[in-house]
Order: sequence, then structure tokens, then C-alpha cells
Amino acid sequence: MSGHDVGADRVVRIWVQVGQQSRGDPVSVAHVCAAAVAGVKVDGAGVTVMVSPTVRETMHATDRVAGELEEWQLTFGQGPCVDAFRGGGPVLAGDLRGADCLARWPVFTPAALDSGARAVFAMPLQVGAIRLGVLDLYRTRPGPLSPHELADALAFADTVGMLLLDGAAGAQPDTAELAWQRDDPTAHQAQVHQATGMILVQLGVNAETAFARLRAYAYAHDRRLGDVARDVVERRLRFKPDPPSGGDNEQ
Amino acid sequence: MSERQLAEAFVEIADTLVDDFDVMDFLHQLTIRCAQVLGVSAAGVLLADQRGALRVVAASTEQTRLLELLQLQTDQGPCPECFHTGRPVAVADLTTATHRWPRFVTAARQIGFASVHALPMRLRTDVIGALNLFDSQPGALDEDTIRLAQALADVATIGLLQARAIRHREILAEQLQTALNSRVVIEQAKGVIAERRHLDMDQSFTLLRSTARTNNRQLSDLARAVVDGSETL
Repeated sequence: MSGHDVGADRVVRIWVQVGQQSRGDPVSVAHVCAAAVAGVKVDGAGVTVMVSPTVRETMHATDRVAGELEEWQLTFGQGPCVDAFRGGGPVLAGDLRGADCLARWPVFTPAALDSGARAVFAMPLQVGAIRLGVLDLYRTRPGPLSPHELADALAFADTVGMLLLDGAAGAQPDTAELAWQRDDPTAHQAQVHQATGMILVQLGVNAETAFARLRAYAYAHDRRLGDVARDVVERRLRFKPDPPSGGDNEQ
Repeated sequence: MSERQLAEAFVEIADTLVDDFDVMDFLHQLTIRCAQVLGVSAAGVLLADQRGALRVVAASTEQTRLLELLQLQTDQGPCPECFHTGRPVAVADLTTATHRWPRFVTAARQIGFASVHALPMRLRTDVIGALNLFDSQPGALDEDTIRLAQALADVATIGLLQARAIRHREILAEQLQTALNSRVVIEQAKGVIAERRHLDMDQSFTLLRSTARTNNRQLSDLARAVVDGSETL
């Protein structure tokens, strides 16, 4: 495990890999999945998203096996993806032939093996109480992710999560080059999450929308997320519900 | 520190290590106990994110400035050094560390701290985070106190990871990330409560925590319910 500098380097490296997939086009979840497959050295990736509190659907799968893995989990309501979604942490099944996997997911495990997967790694797309979905990675051979691969997998999951959030907020997708420049080291400060909670109340929206609005404000004003969040927490900046036409909400 | 206090602290900590205990509340309680038992002004816990960064998960006081100070350490300070080397770091007099960690030392002294100790939280060969002790008086903690502090850091690790279950590195990663996400939920809930009830963040946390205790709920479960609107405080 490593320190802050390596963390920042990782963000840049991840975005370079995404950029190699998107080749100047606006970045999509498909590009990030393709980059994750190459970067984490897995055989495929799939993303399942929340459509409503009770409905989930597969947004993207890189191949047939990845598509079937998503489908089994949605159909049976069990599997690493389901547990990652509920629990808030990654769920790492390095060998589906292990007894613990069969005990944990008795219906999913044989189906996944039949489909051709031997290891499944599920990364939740979450920011606290905001649950967007799950990034699933699979391999046809058994074995754990190395610490380095796991860190990259989590970083790819962060990237998918931010794309989903900004997409839901109507923000224009960026090229990878622009997007990584936006990647903000202050994004993990406690005040960012506190501000999300405050904006949620101010706007009468859910946490996902509140967080997206906070990010959108920071982009639009070319400020760091942590600085905007501090203004909200110290009550120098309030968000007001949208007039029908939209627009910004400073006071 | 009195022996009675010490015994009480360990009993209380052991008492929380039952099934289904509340990790976030446990860590918060542990930092409070550390400060009391070790005779320091404040204590905080930082954990390593698998992505390679340190994150604050608990502090003996929710005082925002202490949290900021801990946060600042994710860039520089005794805590990252302790984390990287896996060894305790003692700064008996912060004025001697100005060149080493200029921003950290300035912020720490502004809050009124004169000395800092950091102890690694270790699970076998992995360092998962660090326990920080801040004091308003300069001076190194004596050897016995350090040993006791390390014991408390070890207890924190065990509690955090419910170590009986930790046989694989995979499970370690899963539980750490889950704990870190719980901390984010709590921050979001503090924001909701602060805005709705016109409280500051410390008061919001106190209300959240006391409500969880009174109703025998897990802090992170209640926080999640507050954020998704299924419960109102």
C-alpha cells in the first residue's frame, strides 16, 4: 500500500488508459470498462446500475460472459455484485470453485462457472449513502487480485461512478484529457460529504443529485470541490431549488 | 492514568467486540478512551484506502479543526510516515518539526497542540492505518505509555477488522473499504442534520450518535436512513 503521491499518480495513469480507449471521443462507461479489462488484466467487465431503489439493470458488458454474470445476479438476486451493492465494500471471489463461494451464493456460483468465469471481483460504485451500481470484473482463471490490481480496480470503479453521477446531472461528457484534469484531490474531504447532506436538504433532492449539483457548481465556477464544500458547510453558499429553466443557485 | 480507568477502558472495548457491533461507534469510543487513558488532549484514527491514500475515520472530538488537521496529514505529517515505515513516530516538540512538515506543524500549533505521536495499526505484515495522539504539552510519552498506546492501536485493528474472520487479504480489503464508506455516510448524515436543525457539525454528530445509542441502532445504519430520508432526526 502506498501514500498520497502514488494515489495521485494512479489517477493520472487510469485516465491515460481510459484516453487510449476513447481516442478523443467523449468518455463513456464502455471506454472505462475496456480500460479496466486491459489495466487490471481481467477477461471482461460489466456495469450494473440502479434505475430506481428496486430496479437494477445492466448498463454495459464487454463480452458474453460478463453479460451473463450480470444477468445471473439480477435474476437470482445473489452474487458478489449483489453483496457489494448492499455492503459498500468490494467483494472479491478469487476462486468460484472454493467451498465458501458455493455456500455464499449457491445458485449464482454454478451458473457463473457454467458461463466460463472462474473469479469475480465486484467493486461498488458508491459515495457513502449514494449507491449508483457495481463494476464487476471476471477472469477465466482462479487467483486473487494483487494489491496493485485491486487499487487500480477501485480507481476504475471511481471513474465509472463519476461518469454516472455527472451523466445524471446532465454534465457534458469530457474527453479523458479534460476529465482527469478535473479530477480533484479535495474530492474526498469530509466537508464534501457534509455539504452533500446540506444541499440535499436545501434542494429537497436525493444525495446523488445533491452531490452532482455540488460537483457541477465547482466545475462551472472552476473551483476545487473542497473549497466550494467549505463555503456550503460554513453557510456562505446556499443552493436553491431550480426554477423551471435551471440555472445556478448562489446567494 | 489510573489502573481503574485502564481496566474500564479495556472492558468497555472488549464489550463492544460482540457480533454485529458498530465499527464507527467503536472507533469513536476508542479514540475518546485513548485520550483519557493516555493523558493526551486528543486522538484520531486514519486508515489506508486501497487506492493508496489515508482517510480519517474517527476522532476523539468531532471538533472540525481537529478533523482538518488529521486530514492535512494525508499529505504530510507524522501519520503518513508512521504508516509507510510501520513504526511509531514521536514528535515531542512540534517546533522542531517545522521544516519537515511546515503546513501540518503550523495548523497543529494553531489549534494548540505541542506534541504528536503516531502508532501503526498492523495486521500481521500489513499496515492498515495509524493512531494519532495529540497533546497540548510538549514532551515524549514514556515507554510504558507508548506500549499501552500500541496495545490500544492493536485493539482498534482487531475491532475494526473483526480479526477472527480475517484469513485472507481479500477480506481485509473488503472490510476496510466498507468501513471507509461508512465514514462517508456519517459525514453526509451530519450535513443533513446540520441543515435541517440548524446545528453545527459537532452537534449534528452528537445528536446522531446519541440517537443511535438510545435506540440501540448502528451508527452507520441510522446515518444511511437519515441520508436516504427514511428517517428524520
